[in-house]
Amino acid sequence: MNIIEIENLSFYYQADKPVLKDINLTIKKGEWLTILGHNGSGKSTLAKLLIGLLRAKSGTIRIDNEELNQNTVQSIRRKIGIVFQNPDNQFVGVTVRDDIAFGLENLSIPREEMIERIETYAQKVSMSEFLNKEPHALSGGQKQRVAIAGILAMHTDIIIFDESTSMLDPKGRRMILDYMKTLNDEGVTIITITHDMKEAVLSDRILVLKNGEVLKMDTAANVLKDKITLEKSNLELLLPLKVINRLEEKNIKNEELRSYLWQLSLTG
Amino acid sequence: MAIKFNRVDFKYQGFDNKGYLALSNINVSINAEGEFITLIGETGSGKTTLVQHMNALLTPTSGNVTIFGLKIDQENIKKKKFRLNPIRQKVGLVFQFPEYQLFEETVLKDIMFGPKNYGVDEATARERAIKMIKVVGLDESYLDRSPFNLSGGEKKRVSIAGILAMEPDILILDEPTSGLDPLGRDALLRVFNDIHQKLNKTIIVITHDMNTVYEYAKRVLVMRDSYLVYDGDPHTLFSKKNIENWNLDIPDIINLLHHLEKDFNITFPKQPQNVDELLTMIEEVAK
Repeated sequence: MNIIEIENLSFYYQADKPVLKDINLTIKKGEWLTILGHNGSGKSTLAKLLIGLLRAKSGTIRIDNEELNQNTVQSIRRKIGIVFQNPDNQFVGVTVRDDIAFGLENLSIPREEMIERIETYAQKVSMSEFLNKEPHALSGGQKQRVAIAGILAMHTDIIIFDESTSMLDPKGRRMILDYMKTLNDEGVTIITITHDMKEAVLSDRILVLKNGEVLKMDTAANVLKDKITLEKSNLELLLPLKVINRLEEKNIKNEELRSYLWQLSLTG
Repeated sequence: MAIKFNRVDFKYQGFDNKGYLALSNINVSINAEGEFITLIGETGSGKTTLVQHMNALLTPTSGNVTIFGLKIDQENIKKKKFRLNPIRQKVGLVFQFPEYQLFEETVLKDIMFGPKNYGVDEATARERAIKMIKVVGLDESYLDRSPFNLSGGEKKRVSIAGILAMEPDILILDEPTSGLDPLGRDALLRVFNDIHQKLNKTIIVITHDMNTVYEYAKRVLVMRDSYLVYDGDPHTLFSKKNIENWNLDIPDIINLLHHLEKDFNITFPKQPQNVDELLTMIEEVAK
């Protein structure tokens, strides 16, 4: 079942400078999709269109069989949430608890259930002991985990991670990646926007955008080894694949090493 | 010695009046030329606090920092005629997201702002802007453009040109490449390497990217819970013993090397300096 269906989607700020051109894309329920592309390729714009922060110039977005428009944007935001790049730019509450509650307050949920959901999801991201702390006292990774809890508490089916790990230290990054895996295993549809091939390899499919257009859409394994597509997008082959390329260039045939390096790339 | 930390503690006060130590007994020296240093450590370990002491944005709670001969401590900072401008010019600090700090109508005016602020005349400031826009890898046509219509990577370069136009001896950059695509990241790192090599300036880069540390740094400083726990070369840092003891994230080159050594039961003669060297070494083994 498709949870997201995008047809002929276009967006621009100035008509002569399109940001996204005629995008067609379907995402299945429970799928993990990575969006790759150079800086300015339109990745974040696509994310903002999906959650209704921007309005398309033409084309349609359907989320869970509901067309996104001004009348449906509130109901659709219960189905799709986003974690942004900068952990400092997404806090509104005085405490972590307030912050997780913020999204729920718009859903007119009974107070008891709200309290229960906050506790449940804070625990899920291992932030229970921080519920009464001020968000600014947390590390970047902790802030991103609170943001995730806030989205999960709204029982969304889809989470977009817009370069959510790029500002974190290695430990914070690993933890957020682990949550992405866990959530995906539990059936949450995940869309990650990243420049990091080690992150992209964890997903099922990869969409590559270039100058606002779809350059490639394929399985993660196929995009991973596509040197030409990656180069066109300012991206790099993973190191083991660079080695495979070098061996091919030099006509060195070592099948054991080759398949070993390929497996190594697939595990990120 | 351009910058010398002498038993520096720094305490943030905090609202509860208990405060916490962001720097504990820091002793380190940095030369005015020829260094390429990366500063690493977990979020909250004290990296940004440390570099803010390098151009006297912060004053040690105890101990002192001598910056180009000027001793910064609690006693001196309170003196009325204590002037910090000269050292702020010598030690250029580029904050994280410098692009948020662009504000002028044109790139030219933005780059000229810094030097003019430090008393450089209009004509000289203009000359420097023309020179520095090229140093950061953009051409002169950018000078007339509005900084707000540039890409993220271009904005970063313009803000770095603005700091360079002040002709600092030491250039400090706080996570300059986060959020850039790999090509943009490499281009910017090469710019720093060029500034380091051609202008012989000392570069200090805060980063979480271990590949940057391994491939560019001559010297690495590691902060952990307010302490400086390592000051040395990147190759020793990423030795097997340190990686295990400190739970370090491993550069891709070292990671691949360790995998191959373990699974193919081979030993490479040395740690490769860069990707090209690694490829050549593997080629030899694979034949």
